[in-house]
Amino acid sequence: MNSLRDKYCIVGVGETEYSRGSGRSTRAMAVEAVRKAILDAGLTAGDVDGMMDYQSGDSTLAPHVAPDLGIRLNFYMDVMGGGSSTEALVGLAMGAIEAGMCRTVAIYRSMNGYSEFRIGGTGARAAQPVRGLDLAQVPFGMRSAGQNFALTFMRHMYDYGTTSEQVAHVKAAHSKHASQNPKALLKERVTVQDVVNSRWIVKPLHLLDCCLETDNATCIIVTSAERARDCRHRPIHVMGVAGRVSKPRLDFHWAHGPISRVAGYYARDIVFGQAGIAPEDVDVTGSYDAFTFTTMLQLEEYGFCKKGEGGAYVSSGVIELGGKRPNNTSGGHLCEGYTHGMSMVIENVRQLRGTVDDYCPRGTEGVHTYDYSPGRCRQVKDAEISMNLGWAMPPLGSALVMRR
Amino acid sequence: MPQPVTYRGMSLVVPDNDSEWNEYFAHARQHRLMLRACAACGLMRYPPTHACPWCMDLGWTWKEVSGRGTIHSYEIVMHAIQPGFKEITPYAVVLVELDEQRGRPTPDEALRIIANLVTADFTPEAEGAVAIGKRVRVLFQDLADHFALPQFTLTDEPAEGRVWRLSG
Repeated sequence: MNSLRDKYCIVGVGETEYSRGSGRSTRAMAVEAVRKAILDAGLTAGDVDGMMDYQSGDSTLAPHVAPDLGIRLNFYMDVMGGGSSTEALVGLAMGAIEAGMCRTVAIYRSMNGYSEFRIGGTGARAAQPVRGLDLAQVPFGMRSAGQNFALTFMRHMYDYGTTSEQVAHVKAAHSKHASQNPKALLKERVTVQDVVNSRWIVKPLHLLDCCLETDNATCIIVTSAERARDCRHRPIHVMGVAGRVSKPRLDFHWAHGPISRVAGYYARDIVFGQAGIAPEDVDVTGSYDAFTFTTMLQLEEYGFCKKGEGGAYVSSGVIELGGKRPNNTSGGHLCEGYTHGMSMVIENVRQLRGTVDDYCPRGTEGVHTYDYSPGRCRQVKDAEISMNLGWAMPPLGSALVMRR
Repeated sequence: MPQPVTYRGMSLVVPDNDSEWNEYFAHARQHRLMLRACAACGLMRYPPTHACPWCMDLGWTWKEVSGRGTIHSYEIVMHAIQPGFKEITPYAVVLVELDEQRGRPTPDEALRIIANLVTADFTPEAEGAVAIGKRVRVLFQDLADHFALPQFTLTDEPAEGRVWRLSG
């Protein structure tokens, strides 16, 4: 597999407030997030000449966002897509720069995922006419993400004996991390019992197995390693990337089993092959925690444990701050806010810089206590390599390995 | 099909040029579960598509299947998203593996269909009766002159392999 290992960097990250009612347009939020990321990189509008974004008919386009900030574009691409787009677009941005189309790309996602287009599928989305491939499932009351994914988790329980209690540890761990994150929507720590005692949504998923719905915009800036040397922060190098890797029969993935297998099965050799590392070399992970069990499925499919042992892995303490390989140290989609995957990459960039925005008074300057009691520190000590596990649905995923 | 079919507040749209679904639902209205079979290699596929996913041939015919199968996975919707389903919660969504063509052309492949598990009058089956491994057969829920939804119901046949359901 070809590799651009270490030739491209993420040099800037930024986000708006996470809220349940932004009171403004996706254009206004996108502009704020892109501006923050440009300033974070120590760049100016004139330095950014590429822009990419993703959405599902619920957001604003690059040709509207760039001019607001005085950016003239040599390249842009508005992409349809949700989860797993973040890592894929980082790879495509590298490709656009490598092809000589542009020099520096801002990638954003802006969404009123709570106040306008509910990500959970309620409201206007629930009333849409049903046509095409949706006829294979929506007439049977299967429309939301939870309803779409639950068959996969139920079969995993059957195949491997995985339990609700085991995956509830994911929520407990991420809530611990969110308690160290001033930006997080849910800062209160919860227990495994809290999760399994919360009401059922679609069995085998409880309310607290499900992520949040959030209004926000987020941005990541990609440029060459050469240009990154002149930016404000320590460059964070891309070692490997896999984008929108799918299982067979993506139209109806249940046709090709095992249905408890997810796309990471096919993505792992691509991303680890480029990066030249193995799972044990990774210090911190960022999983797409649309649900507790999606984290478990991804971690085992990428080889952080054996297939089928994901339940034991996520309940062992490994994924918590203070554990061997913490996951979603910002609190992720379950607790920080729902960003369609962007925030987990942003968090890992900050982790590798050593500058996470926790409650340490000089945390963003890189001074941390590593005290993981509530309301304190969430910096992972000496994090050198991170991995993001992007997810759109069981048969579709992306991945990104970065180093400091 | 001349007009959308209304079902549980949803508008099910199968226009005349929907060459994937039109005949499938019309066959269902005749109470026949018909799948597309490749004219070249003979393998059946679901959902209806326009090329064979195994040999890429564009030719196809409709082939009837027995409508019998086994529950491969399931979920119980407790909190409905679509307004028309709120009145029937809890309801089961099942992934049924049909008896025909199991493990072909590779061991991980099968003809699998999503539907509700219902009783003879199309009300949701009791939650405690739903389990992986149980045997089912198709029932056709007539919604219009030209349209029926294939649903599934439990049979008296002995279950296949290990029967398992989520406790609690």
